[in-house]
Amino acid sequence: MTASVTIEGLSHWFEALRALSDIDLQIDAGEYVTLLGPSGCGKTTLLSVLGGFVEPTQGKVLIGGRDMTHVPPARRPTTTMFQDYALFPHMNLRENVAFGLRMAGTAKKQRNERAEAFLALVGLEGSAGKRPHQLSGGQRQRVALARALAVEPGVLLLDEPLGALDLKLRRSMQDELKDIQRKVGTTFIHVTHDQEEAMAIADRIVVMSAGRVEDEGDPLRIYSEPATLFAADFMGEMNHIPGTASDEGIETPFGALPLKSHRSGPVTVCIRPEALATAGAIPIGPSRLRDAAFVGTHYRVHLVPEAMPEAVLVAHLPPGSLPDAGKSLTLYADSGSFRVFAGKE
Amino acid sequence: MMRHIAWLYLLAAFVFIYLPVAALVLFSFQAGSLPVPPFNGPSLQWYEEILADDNIVAALGHSIAVALGSSTIAVFLGFLAAYGLARYRLPGSVFMRALLIAPLTVSYLIVGLGLLIVLTRAGFGLSLWTATIGHVVINLPLAFAIVYASIGAQQENAERAARDLGADEFRVIFLVTLPMLAPSVAAAFFLSMTLSWDEFIIAFLLTRFDITLPVEIWSMLRSGLSPSLNAVGSLVFLVSITIVIILEIFNAGRRRR
Repeated sequence: MTASVTIEGLSHWFEALRALSDIDLQIDAGEYVTLLGPSGCGKTTLLSVLGGFVEPTQGKVLIGGRDMTHVPPARRPTTTMFQDYALFPHMNLRENVAFGLRMAGTAKKQRNERAEAFLALVGLEGSAGKRPHQLSGGQRQRVALARALAVEPGVLLLDEPLGALDLKLRRSMQDELKDIQRKVGTTFIHVTHDQEEAMAIADRIVVMSAGRVEDEGDPLRIYSEPATLFAADFMGEMNHIPGTASDEGIETPFGALPLKSHRSGPVTVCIRPEALATAGAIPIGPSRLRDAAFVGTHYRVHLVPEAMPEAVLVAHLPPGSLPDAGKSLTLYADSGSFRVFAGKE
Repeated sequence: MMRHIAWLYLLAAFVFIYLPVAALVLFSFQAGSLPVPPFNGPSLQWYEEILADDNIVAALGHSIAVALGSSTIAVFLGFLAAYGLARYRLPGSVFMRALLIAPLTVSYLIVGLGLLIVLTRAGFGLSLWTATIGHVVINLPLAFAIVYASIGAQQENAERAARDLGADEFRVIFLVTLPMLAPSVAAAFFLSMTLSWDEFIIAFLLTRFDITLPVEIWSMLRSGLSPSLNAVGSLVFLVSITIVIILEIFNAGRRRR
């Protein structure tokens, strides 16, 4: 099963606190979407609204085209994979996974077969008789996934599902989640604060901040052409250069950059560390190399621009092209790699 | 030297605590007709006698019925109260919690007298039912306190997951909350059992023709000491100790989680 999700004009207040503001979102059936943002941005509240655990103050939620705004969790075509897994400790894995089917009145033999099939899907065949306390964190998480999928929901909601796992396990579970999503075809909506996780896993990322949607789109577009300064910063490291826009270009401490901007007045010019190079179309002036750290594929370098000595730029430069620390080099970038946002930070 | 004194002290303390019980049990096996030294047993004649006594056997049955009945009701009500107060934010819930636990501090005599006055005024005849009501009154606060203390976020999250998977409230409680709290619920039940099993004052005040074992022992005492009393007392003690051991086993299970 799979279902689309439509959110229209959604707002929610927790007493005086506005947790969600005017959210409009369309998620297609079968999509893998991540809600990405720092803690307190409203992403978990939005997920709770979709799951039916929080009734929104304003707005509508349609799942599979049907209005679900006021329908309780038990009667929604959604299931949630909770952050703490919330497995039933007094049941074995088979009973845990079969619980939803039992609630739906499926016969015992049938639901046990289905439960075992879903346990096999998440790589836990042969463990059906174990209790949750006998499992590792990663295995518990797989059981939670199997349990949520066993009722064949239209939409699976995942609340920071990988948050409790160590980094290595997290990266391998990302691939697996994506793989399982492709197999079952269910719409996955996945909350995370880890932008690398979001990029690795999602068809589409929704960046949130302070209860609003800052940007939404495929990972590449959001990374390379973020809609807002917040999204630009949240998706990865970003160098900020203050400037003033006019019809001729943008005046910066490095001189006028020949960039088109439909804004005028104070702006922030942004460029990613990997877009800075020692050769290119647009020079950004000489900078003194402060320090460099080798991180495998490149050197991560801190530079102090001569024209802007109070600032530090971060660049990723290839090995072999670096002068010694304290020496100067001239940075360049291509015109397509700059992003310009209104206002000074 | 200090070490020896410490051991001696420990020994004296245990003798002080257990000598009366040991003497009671020992002289229940007395062959003569007086439960005083010298001991000239062992003999099971007094056990034979009390088990042949219809009054005692009937009282034993009544005690078991009252203990089981009052404990079941107290734990059921205590669980519901604990669940309700833990899960729903109600006006005055702190006050309600205090009110539920307060009877723990009221003496059994007052509880018994109060119930006696109210029940006879209301036209209830005294019976095992009224004694059961009395035992529910003293056991409910304990059952509530024990269950309430072990309800936490862990069950709440599992309940949420159960609702998400389509369970109605009834099934949430009986398939998730109650089984997860089973060790505490069992502990509350067995503790209630022991308290009801050898409770005297309330049972004395609130029964009339059918009486419980402690009340029967009291009426036997009025006709003087006899090893048969020791035998009944030993039986009461045996049952109590058995329940306490079961309780400890459940407590150990609860700690392991």
